[in-house]
Amino acid sequence: MTIGKPVVRVEDERFLRGEGRFTADYTLPFMVEAHIFRSPYGHARIAAINLDAALALKGVHAIVTGADLPEGLAPIQCRIPTHGDLSPYLQYPLARDKVRYVGEPIAVIVADTRAVAEDAAELIEIDFDPLPAVTDPARAIEPGAEPIHESGNLAGRWGFDLGDVPGALSEAAFIASDSFSIQRHSAMPMETRGLLASYDAGRNLLDIYGPTKVVHTNRNMLAAMLGMGEAEIRMIEPDVGGSFGARGEFYPEDYLIPFVAMRVRRPVRWIEDRVEHFAAINHSRDCAFHVTVAANRDGIITAFDVKLVTDMGSYIRTHGDVVPSHAAASFPGPYRVRNYRIDAMTVMTNKTPTGTYRAPGMFEANFARERAIDRLADKMGIDRAELRRRNLIQPEEMPWYVGTESVKRPTIFDSGNFPLIMDRALKAYGWDAPFEREVNGWKRGRGLCALVEPSGLGPFEGVRIEVDQHGKVQIFSGSSNQGQGHETILAQIASEVLTVPMEKIRVRHGDTGIITFGGGTYASRTAIMGGNAVHSASVGVRQKALDAASRKFGIAVEDLDLREGAIWHGHRNEPVVTLGGIARMLMPGNQEILVSPSAGNIPDNDGLVVTSYVRGVTAGAAVFAVHMADVLVDPETGETKVERYFVACDVGRQLNPLIVEGQIVGGVVQGLGGTFLEELAYNEDGQLTTGTFADYLMPNVYDVPPITALVFEESPALTNVLGVKGVGEVGPSGVGATIGNAIANALATDTGLNKLPLTPERILQSTGFGGLQ
Amino acid sequence: MKPAPFDYFAPTTLEEALGLLKQYGSDARVIAGGQSLVPMLALRLARPEVIVDLNRVAALAGIAEDGESLRIGAMTRQARALASPLVHEKLPLLRHGLENVGHPPTRARGTLGGSIAHADPAAETPMVMLAYRATMVLAGGAGERAVPADEFTLGTFDTCIAEGEILKEIVVEVRPDEGTGFFELSRRRGDFAMASAAARMRLDAAGTCIEAHLMIGAVAPVPLRCDAVAEALVGAIPTEVRIREAVRLIDLDAFEFDNPEISLAYRRHIAPVLARRALMQAASRAGDLRQ
Repeated sequence: MTIGKPVVRVEDERFLRGEGRFTADYTLPFMVEAHIFRSPYGHARIAAINLDAALALKGVHAIVTGADLPEGLAPIQCRIPTHGDLSPYLQYPLARDKVRYVGEPIAVIVADTRAVAEDAAELIEIDFDPLPAVTDPARAIEPGAEPIHESGNLAGRWGFDLGDVPGALSEAAFIASDSFSIQRHSAMPMETRGLLASYDAGRNLLDIYGPTKVVHTNRNMLAAMLGMGEAEIRMIEPDVGGSFGARGEFYPEDYLIPFVAMRVRRPVRWIEDRVEHFAAINHSRDCAFHVTVAANRDGIITAFDVKLVTDMGSYIRTHGDVVPSHAAASFPGPYRVRNYRIDAMTVMTNKTPTGTYRAPGMFEANFARERAIDRLADKMGIDRAELRRRNLIQPEEMPWYVGTESVKRPTIFDSGNFPLIMDRALKAYGWDAPFEREVNGWKRGRGLCALVEPSGLGPFEGVRIEVDQHGKVQIFSGSSNQGQGHETILAQIASEVLTVPMEKIRVRHGDTGIITFGGGTYASRTAIMGGNAVHSASVGVRQKALDAASRKFGIAVEDLDLREGAIWHGHRNEPVVTLGGIARMLMPGNQEILVSPSAGNIPDNDGLVVTSYVRGVTAGAAVFAVHMADVLVDPETGETKVERYFVACDVGRQLNPLIVEGQIVGGVVQGLGGTFLEELAYNEDGQLTTGTFADYLMPNVYDVPPITALVFEESPALTNVLGVKGVGEVGPSGVGATIGNAIANALATDTGLNKLPLTPERILQSTGFGGLQ
Repeated sequence: MKPAPFDYFAPTTLEEALGLLKQYGSDARVIAGGQSLVPMLALRLARPEVIVDLNRVAALAGIAEDGESLRIGAMTRQARALASPLVHEKLPLLRHGLENVGHPPTRARGTLGGSIAHADPAAETPMVMLAYRATMVLAGGAGERAVPADEFTLGTFDTCIAEGEILKEIVVEVRPDEGTGFFELSRRRGDFAMASAAARMRLDAAGTCIEAHLMIGAVAPVPLRCDAVAEALVGAIPTEVRIREAVRLIDLDAFEFDNPEISLAYRRHIAPVLARRALMQAASRAGDLRQ
């Protein structure tokens, strides 16, 4: 048995030995390097571009600007459905007449080295006519605001109106209402993006190293933009140092680097540097909610009334409006609230375009909802956990239809026993246990958050499993691996079904050259989608092996059995044949099964190989989680110290407890970054003021509190054979809410703490420090 | 993030280094541990024509006793100073300051002299040297000159080091009978402070304060010397009540730094808190010395 065991990740050894191969580790003969010249302005017209001096620099091979792009080139398409038509806001790979954010690509410089390309960048002369930058979404939609696009700055306005919200509000015994905002921040993978494109002009073949996440989708998008056949492009995922949703989407560079490689007829490599990353990667979050929550006298929440404004940045990218869409669809969370209304606006500003970042929309919505619920509990004078418990969706109400939809799919919670998990979590944490309210002048507070995290979204996933004549198993997966440990868990599933040890199984992934179709890795989906595809293909391999052995040895399939990587007949001491033996038998060239051509081909001469594609389930699998934390606050300075952090969640079934725990702990740390530190801040001119790691602060090892993950396997997902639910995003999802609630509890304040990040200054403001000293 | 082209020299003696500075004048910059200059080069915020690397000038590193003083070579690594028994024993305030400088990897490269010459208003070491009334020894073509710390730092990233000069060493007078205190607050451990405070205090046998120094950092281009606070404490028993009263004399009008993430009002709020804590710590340690 391999599934469910704490198998050490097979990836770790190569990473720990420094033998991982990342994009920057790849070189090719005659390779040159690219550097992107980016807009220094948040909003400006490009009056003229003069490349003469830059092109004259020794070592420069080419400089491409918007004028060099093919006539009629379409902008980069959104890959998922949106609320309304967002096509007027799509981005072209290079700006032509106008730039709309600092960091927008204007030119690509190809030179012998990156350093020479950067020298050349300083010689490019551009006449900009600066325009007023629009950086505040509230002002962006006022009449007379400078239009960023011809279609105006309000890209979309939509919402849901379920039940009778006005009625519930008018009858409410208690109402809490406040505004909550979540700052712009995003993924900061340790490895920045990178691409190496190599074009074989004679054969019209294009190889690209560096894509990840959704390589098949990206390959198809690029094929359409370049007018090439899809199979003429091969995208190859090397080792990847993190994505968290941001890396691996189709960005302007994903067109530009192959495009220039085809132009200069040499391999071109581009490695995003950190300063570029800050301005170029999809930003995320950046939502402002106004929440009204109503309850009756019994502490039953009767309505959520929500307004949501999301700052989309300057263009709509591949993710469309999925962040506000998910936030709106899932806002009611784990509560049985039928009166729900949301009015959502998506607004364009002169900032970097946005996309998803781990727990997209959910980190945001959970913060707003759970802070509002704490306010409500305080008003009602009842325990904060008790208020939540009274309102949880009951197990007999599953599957629960929220009544909303996101990316044109209804929001459904497939299974779960929320009250049971909540009770166990509260008990395990000791929620009700009294605690010291003050320690050496610091105030201690306790907070919690309950949430449902969707997982396993997307239409399909596929794998092909090949067993070779030595019994070694290769899994060719359509999903990607950016450090999560997919090579391990997918191998575990095959190991379990095929009864083959892990050492004999290899997982390859993220390569359009090894499997025809692939879904990719996002939305905590690989354990579910990739995992079930491996399971399905493994079952297929087992059946194929049993059938072949049955035919060859004349034994009924029912009397055969797959154990220890071999076919056994009853309880005999020797196996009939190993899987490797079956693979040899099924090789197309095998004389034993070849018959004369006149007899036609027999069906099983294509190796011990099975391809399986599994279809996704509309709403994936819902994970219920409860977060709790104790936080100390210095009331004199606003300094904080998280003493302990706890996450309880029901993942249905664990494939590998080590990886599950790692996902949760790592996710919490990212959530703490978003809660206390990280912010992509802009000034009024549209300049990014936190564009280096000196200003954009991430948690470091000193800031990580003890984090405990309590993982339940109470309610297996009903929507997949393995019963697994995705665990990638439950870690960060509730951190802002939990910490905000804990600090409010520590300071006994019912104002403030509604704006992330929770800086020491904002923490003090919540108690009105302004009058002090 | 590739630096603009520059010429690079790695002299092994101070004379050689000074010769290069003389030869290249304002086109040249010296590099010490590189913790500030290298990022500035990579961002092309600094673009010297010539870099004179002091890392191979062995004579510039080291900590030595010299009578009542310690002489600290400018190229002494922060990590080395932090681990130095001499520093532990004789310059506790420097040690407390260094504990707040960056992280082990940055301290392994970063130098004392580099940080002092860089003159970041939020940096710990320049403030500690101000608190110690240390002397900066500058070497130049015409010989050496000694500059008191008070006259050394002129403003943000600005010192009195003239063209052709190199900060050679820092001389700090050792006061074995004093207690010291250091507190700072930063958004994240190891980062530059939002405000910081360094204190020194001596007590007589009766526990009366006979000497006090207080510096507030990260609130203005140059760390603030709070002499009024110190004077209010001299002659008094430094109880918490007295210290609370004394820190009210911090000249909050001299605070300048104000930005969206860390407002002037917030700095004015926390600086007296940090000052109080630093003075309390110094008083307590000074008290321990008497026993």
